[in-house]
Amino acid sequence: MRTRFGLMLAAALAACTLLAAAAADAASYPDKPVNMIIAFTAGGSSDVQARIMQKYWNKNEPQPWVFIYKTGAGGAIGFSETAHAKPDGYSIGGVNVPHIVLQPLAQHAPYSIDDFAYICQVVNDPQVVAVRNDSEFKSVSDVFAYAKANPDKLTIGLVGPMSGHHLMYLDVKAKTGLQASEVMYKGAADQNAALLGGEVAVIFGNVNDVMRSREMIRVLGVASEKRCDFLPDVPTLREQGYDIVSDIRRGFVAPKGIDADELAFLREAFRKIAQDPGYQAEMRKAGQPAEYQPGEQFEAYVRKQYEIDRALLVQFGLLKK
Amino acid sequence: MLDYVLSALGHLIEPLNILLMLGGLTGGILLGALPGLTATMGVALMVPVTFAMDPISGLVMLGAIYAGAIYGGSNAACLIRTPGTPSSVATTFDGFPMCQAGKADEALYTALLASAFGGVVGTIFLLFMSAPLATFALKFGGPEIFWLCIFGLSTIAVMSRDNMLKGLLSGAFGLLVSTIGIDPNSGVPRFTCGFYPLAQGVEIIPAMIGLFSFSQVLVLLGSDRQFIAEYSPSKGAFGRVARKLLADCKVNLLRSSVLGTLIGMLPGAGGEIASIIAYNETKRWDDNPARFGTGVVEGVAASESANNGVIGGSLIPMLTLGIPGSAVAAVILGALLAHGIQPGFKIFTETGELAYTFILSQMVVNILMIPVGYLLAKVMAKILNIRLTLVAVAIVTLSVIGSYAIRNSMLDVWVVIVFGLIAFFGGLVGLDTGAMALGIILGPMVEENLGKCVHLAKAEGSLWNVFFTSPISLLLILFTLLSIATPFLLELRGKKKARRTAACMESRS
Repeated sequence: MRTRFGLMLAAALAACTLLAAAAADAASYPDKPVNMIIAFTAGGSSDVQARIMQKYWNKNEPQPWVFIYKTGAGGAIGFSETAHAKPDGYSIGGVNVPHIVLQPLAQHAPYSIDDFAYICQVVNDPQVVAVRNDSEFKSVSDVFAYAKANPDKLTIGLVGPMSGHHLMYLDVKAKTGLQASEVMYKGAADQNAALLGGEVAVIFGNVNDVMRSREMIRVLGVASEKRCDFLPDVPTLREQGYDIVSDIRRGFVAPKGIDADELAFLREAFRKIAQDPGYQAEMRKAGQPAEYQPGEQFEAYVRKQYEIDRALLVQFGLLKK
Repeated sequence: MLDYVLSALGHLIEPLNILLMLGGLTGGILLGALPGLTATMGVALMVPVTFAMDPISGLVMLGAIYAGAIYGGSNAACLIRTPGTPSSVATTFDGFPMCQAGKADEALYTALLASAFGGVVGTIFLLFMSAPLATFALKFGGPEIFWLCIFGLSTIAVMSRDNMLKGLLSGAFGLLVSTIGIDPNSGVPRFTCGFYPLAQGVEIIPAMIGLFSFSQVLVLLGSDRQFIAEYSPSKGAFGRVARKLLADCKVNLLRSSVLGTLIGMLPGAGGEIASIIAYNETKRWDDNPARFGTGVVEGVAASESANNGVIGGSLIPMLTLGIPGSAVAAVILGALLAHGIQPGFKIFTETGELAYTFILSQMVVNILMIPVGYLLAKVMAKILNIRLTLVAVAIVTLSVIGSYAIRNSMLDVWVVIVFGLIAFFGGLVGLDTGAMALGIILGPMVEENLGKCVHLAKAEGSLWNVFFTSPISLLLILFTLLSIATPFLLELRGKKKARRTAACMESRS
C-alpha cells in the first residue's frame, strides 16, 4: 500500500517535472525571428493577409516574422520550400487549397499534402458565378440551362488550368451535364477584363477578385455553404438547387516533423490572432473573407479535398489511372 | 472635380508629401538603375510601409517610386548596356552606342527629359480620359493581344535588316526558350528535364541581364579597353539635348508617349512591349532608319517616353475598373485594397480627394524627376571614370544579387550565367540578342492568347471568325504586314535614291 502510494507520488512528481520542462521549452520558443514563406508576390492577396496577421502576432510575441517570398509556378515553388524547410519551428509558410492538392496531383510538384503540419486556416474565399451587369442571365439556372440547351456556345472564363476555378467547372459539368467553352486566363485581372469586355459571358471567380470591379459585375451565386458576408443578397448555389461548394482557402503550415509543443504553440498563437476583433475588422476592410479553422480540422479538409479533386480529375481524363 | 483638384493641390504642397515624392523618386531611380531590381519589387517592398501611413501619402510615395524606377532603368541601359528594368531593353539599342561615342551625358539627359515628357502625357490621359479609355482597353481580348504580340515580333524584321535570317532565327530561339515551364493551356510542366524549379519558366529579368549585361561584361573584358567608354562631361549638354528634343523630336515624343499610354492600359502588355514598339515606329517613320542603333537621340527618346507613358496608362484600368494594366499597377491595387479603397468609376467621386491627389502627384513627380534625375545622372555617369576591371566586377556582383533577389531562387542566377554565355558565343556567329529578348518577352503572351483564341473558337464555331473579324485585329494585322514589308520598301527607296544621286552626278558631269 505504502509502496504503491510512493510509486504514484514519484510518477506524479516525474510527470510534473516533465510538464515543467516542456513548459519551459515552450516558453522559450520562439527565441529568434520566424521565417514566413509566402508563395506569391509581395503585395498580393496572400501577402496582404499575412501582413495583417503579423501586426497582431507582434502584439503578443517579441520575435518578429521574416517574410521570404518564393514565387513561381502558381505557388508550387514556395509551397515546396515550406514542405522541405527544416522542421525546427523557425520556418512556417502560407498555403492555398486546392493549390497544394492539385499541384502534386496533376503537375508533378515536388511535395505532397503529407509534408505539412497544419497550423490553421484563416481565409475561405468562395467561388462565385458572375456575369456583366447588362447580361441576360439573371440566375445561375439561367446560365446552366443556356449551356445545356446550346452546347459549347457559352463561354466561361476561368483562371487556370488546374486551379480551384477549373475544378469547380469540372464539378459543375459532372453534376449538371452542361457543355460550355472554357477559356483560361492567367490571373483574376485578365479574367475580370475579359468579362467586362464581353469576351466571355460568365466567369467563375473569387469573391475577393470580383469585389474589385463590383460596379460592373453582377454576382449570380456563391458556391459556399452559407451566404457570404460581402455579398449578403446573393443566394448560394445550394439555395438555387445546385449542390456545389467550391472555394479557395488560405492557411498556415509548418514542415512535417516540427516539435509537437511548438506546433501547439503556433496553433494557439494563430487562434488568438484570428479571434481578435481588431484583426477581423482589418480583414474585412481589406476584402479578405476571414474564416478560422483549427489545424486538425484544416488538415481533415485538405485530405477530403484531395479525394474529391482526384476523383474529378480521373473522371475527366485529366489524370492517369 | 474642381473641388477635388483644389484639395489635391493642397495635399501636394504638404511638406511630408513633397518629401515622400523626392524620396520615392530618388529611391526609385537608384533601384531602377541597379540591374535586377525592378519597379515591381521596389513598389512591393514599400507597400507594407504604407500601411502605417495616411493612404494619400502612401499612394503618392508608391507612385513616385514607380515613375523613378522606370526612368532609372535607362541609366543602366545607357551606361552599361543593361536594361535596369525590362522596360528599357529598347533604350540599350541607341543609349549604349551614344555612351560609347563619349556622349553618355547626352544619352542620360535624353532619357530623363523623354521619361518626364512621357510621364506627363500618360498622366494627362489618366486625368482627363480615364473613363472612355478604360472602356476602349476592354476591347482588347485574346485575339487582339495575340495580334499585338505578333506585331511586336514583326519588329525583328526591321531591327535586323542587315541579316534578317539570323534575326528571325534568334527570335525563334527566344520563343522556344519561353515555352519552358508550365503550359498555360493544359497546366502541365514542359521541358523541365525533371528539374522542378524550371516549371516556373525562364524569368524574363535574369534572362535579359544575362543576354545584355553579363555578355557585355565578357565582351568588355575581352577588349583591351581601360574604361567602358571615353567620357568627358561637356558643358551645356543638358541645354543642347533639351533644344534638340524640342526642335526635332516633338512628333516622336508625342507618338511614343501616346503609344506607351495606350499599350499600358492593356492588362498583360506593359513597358517592355511599349518601348520596343515605339522605338520601331520611330525608326520606321524616320528619313534615314539605318542610323538607328548607331547612337541617335531619337531612339532613346522613343523608348524612354513610351515606357513612362505606360505608367499613366496602366493606372487607368486599375483605378476605374480594378484591373491593373501592369505588374506594378497590380501591386499598387493591392495597397489600395489593403487601405479599404474600392476601385471603380466611383473612385473619382466617392474617394475623389485621394484619386485626384494621386493623379496630380504623378504630374508633380514627373516634373520633379528632372532636377532629381539630373543630379543622379551626374553621379551615375562617374561609373565611366572607373577602371573597367572594377566596373566589371561590380556589374557581375549586382547582376547575380539582383537576379537572385527577384524570387530568391538560385535558378535565376544560373539563367544569368547561361544566357550570358549564349549571348557572348552566339554573338560571335551573329546571334541577335535584341531579337532573342523579344522572343522571350513576347513568347508567353503569344502562347497564352493563342490558347484563348482556340477555346473561343469552340464557342464561335470558327477559328477564322475569332482571328479575323474584330476591327482592332484587322488593323493590327495591317500594321504587322506593313512592318514586315518595311525592310523591302526601305531597300527599294535606298536603291531609288542611289539611282537618283547617280543620275544627278551624271547630269552634272
